[in-house]
Amino acid sequence: MIEARVDGMIIATVCHPSLRGCRTVICQPLDEHGRAEGPPVLAVDPYGAGEHQTVIISTDGSKTRDYVGDPKSPLRNLILAVSDEVRD
Amino acid sequence: MRLGNVIGRVTLSQQDAAYSGARFLLVQPLSPAQMGGAPLSPLAKGSTVVVYDNLGAGPGQIIGFTEGAEASAPFEQPTPVDAFNAAIVDRIFYNPPAGA
Repeated sequence: MIEARVDGMIIATVCHPSLRGCRTVICQPLDEHGRAEGPPVLAVDPYGAGEHQTVIISTDGSKTRDYVGDPKSPLRNLILAVSDEVRD
Repeated sequence: MRLGNVIGRVTLSQQDAAYSGARFLLVQPLSPAQMGGAPLSPLAKGSTVVVYDNLGAGPGQIIGFTEGAEASAPFEQPTPVDAFNAAIVDRIFYNPPAGA
């Protein structure tokens, strides 16, 4: 699991069937001080996280395949939680 | 999943049997600035990826592709694919906080 900040979203009409109807957001992974670390990644967002909110992402595909209900889905990143506050 | 810009196609002559009929794209992952609307040329730094495509993306389009074990998940037979085109992107809304 990684901590990330929601920096945007994408719209895709032509996509794998398992992605249809899923909100897909652009997430910036954060380091332990809350600073951007590494390139942004895309994640499926079941919770409607707002722009610049901090979220916890699962980078293990099994939970994502459960969520989209397709055991053959190619998706990996799934938002598991929207955090209120992170303390050092 | 990452965002990338399709910069070309790959055609194969000799190939593993699992690849027959497959389409492959050359994809350059986008930099954060390019997600925000910066020109796609010059290309972002980083390795170009060969991506399996069954959605019909072409050069000039932006796609979302997955890598790793999940990339071979959609196939009925075990297939040696480690990047898979999951979405052809119509629009990107990208607005990182200022100074981040």
